[in-house]
Amino acid sequence: MTRQIPSSPVSDTYVPALASPPRITRSALVNAIGLLLFVLVPAIASATGESFLVNLMTRFLIYAIAAVSLDLILGYGAMVSFGHAAFFGLGGYVIGIVGFHVGQGDTLFGWSGSNAALVMWPLAVAVAALAGLAVGFLSLRTSGVQFIMITLAFGQMLYFILVGLMVYGGDDGLAIDARNTLPGLNLNDPATFYYVCLALMTLWIVVCRRIVNSPFGMALQSIKQNPRRSVGLGLAPLGYRLTAFVLSAAGTGLAGALWANYALFVSPDMSAWQKSGELMAMVILGGMGTIFGPVLGVAVYLGLEQVATGWTEHWMLILGPVLVLVVLFGKRGVYGWLAGGKQ
Amino acid sequence: MTSHPKLEIRDLRKSFGAVHATQGVNLEVRPGELHALIGPNGAGKTTLLSQISGEILPDAGSIWLDGGDITRMPAHKRPGAGLARSFQISQLYPDFTAEDNVAMAVQAHSPGGFNLWKNARRLARLREPALQALDRVGLAGRADVRVSALAHGEKRQLELAMALSLDASVLLLDEPMAGMGAEESQRMTALLQTLKGRYAILLVEHDMDAVFALADRVTVLVYGKTIFTGTPDEVRRHPDVRAAYLGEED
Repeated sequence: MTRQIPSSPVSDTYVPALASPPRITRSALVNAIGLLLFVLVPAIASATGESFLVNLMTRFLIYAIAAVSLDLILGYGAMVSFGHAAFFGLGGYVIGIVGFHVGQGDTLFGWSGSNAALVMWPLAVAVAALAGLAVGFLSLRTSGVQFIMITLAFGQMLYFILVGLMVYGGDDGLAIDARNTLPGLNLNDPATFYYVCLALMTLWIVVCRRIVNSPFGMALQSIKQNPRRSVGLGLAPLGYRLTAFVLSAAGTGLAGALWANYALFVSPDMSAWQKSGELMAMVILGGMGTIFGPVLGVAVYLGLEQVATGWTEHWMLILGPVLVLVVLFGKRGVYGWLAGGKQ
Repeated sequence: MTSHPKLEIRDLRKSFGAVHATQGVNLEVRPGELHALIGPNGAGKTTLLSQISGEILPDAGSIWLDGGDITRMPAHKRPGAGLARSFQISQLYPDFTAEDNVAMAVQAHSPGGFNLWKNARRLARLREPALQALDRVGLAGRADVRVSALAHGEKRQLELAMALSLDASVLLLDEPMAGMGAEESQRMTALLQTLKGRYAILLVEHDMDAVFALADRVTVLVYGKTIFTGTPDEVRRHPDVRAAYLGEED
């Protein structure tokens, strides 16, 4: 296979992607350092005696899964979903509701393993994906501001449905008796649960990176950049957008399921519009359309929250200007600033 | 030539409120023919191309491709039926490289568009045809350059490379020389010359030197109506055409 073009005078300088040796780029370095820090968190926590650190970082990982999922449609498809917390809430409530019945001695479809993570987490993901299919199918008929409003409406719809579920605590939410179980692992141990979340986040990031660089991902990005041209080339945008929306909903549902396990509590607030806004702020802070960026965005967001709530309960007063500055001056967010320009 | 036309437009009509952009246009492009469409600004040339490519639905009349009625066929299905379009104002992907842009055109008509796993930038079946198309339009050395960094003339060349990569038999070219300098225009004319005979081409162009050098036949469109179709020589001599259009240039 040759990629050389004989008639081109500059073809000699063209380095074929296939033959290029793996290089250590600045962004690869940032990612590697990030991953190393994550792995060391429980050790650092026990060494310094700051046990809250593991909990804080678990929260961080869970939000990162949701933010990366949102980036898939926000950054790569320009679909501004203002109702994405709905899928977070759904994932959580699947765990909460089944856990509630298991606590009462019932089982899911009469099966004794109804508390198994290997069943419950995929179930939560599937429910979120299915909801994503329905919401996406209806919302993606619109674009721009209308899309924002219609996804917001769907998110609020779920919020009020959850508020109305009096059996499951309604407004007050629902406490969960125990975490789901994984064979061979004790998820009740904070460090173990942390590592499971870290593994899932890493896996999801790898999957999302593959997706955005795949033919599907290129088509999705092309539709974002110039839908008119993509249609002119013969692509039907709806199929690509909807697929991305469903994948994004699925990932957000997984994050919701993990959150329910982490907090042992679910409430309608998980799917409130403020949560959707939080997720969007995280993605924008970190850098849209980078996959890694939103992870950093979550770090900045939660870090800021942690520090600034010590000063004032109106910590959003600090977040607001930071967000404005990032949007105005750093189009690629914190990650773009750290890892350099576009790869 | 007696075979049926590649592309045929019958009594096409389109109005936007009180503006009658297309008022009964009849036109045919024969196999291998380069058919130029000329007319003053606002004559409805781009509106006509948009109806042929499916972006705008006509009010009445019909469009035929290879003897099949495509009047109501969705726009995204027309490239697959053999109809490719280039745009007057370059419609490109600014964040992609030139090669990415053309590879999208290749991908659009090849299977595996919903492949979520393979790295698209390393798929030879997408990349090699893309590089070949870039080479054909003279952009081989610019494959890795981001579109937003390309010069205007290069964007026009890229626009053509994408249309060529669609594997279509009919090309609708909307002012490929738009905004080009004299030298660039000549190069583009030479490039289009190499395409003659291989495609049925409907060329909208303001550059009369290019039109008369390239076209087998010319149709003149004025206020949404075709007032004349003939060889370049006939068009040049036709009194109505001179009055309506070419007269402006004297």
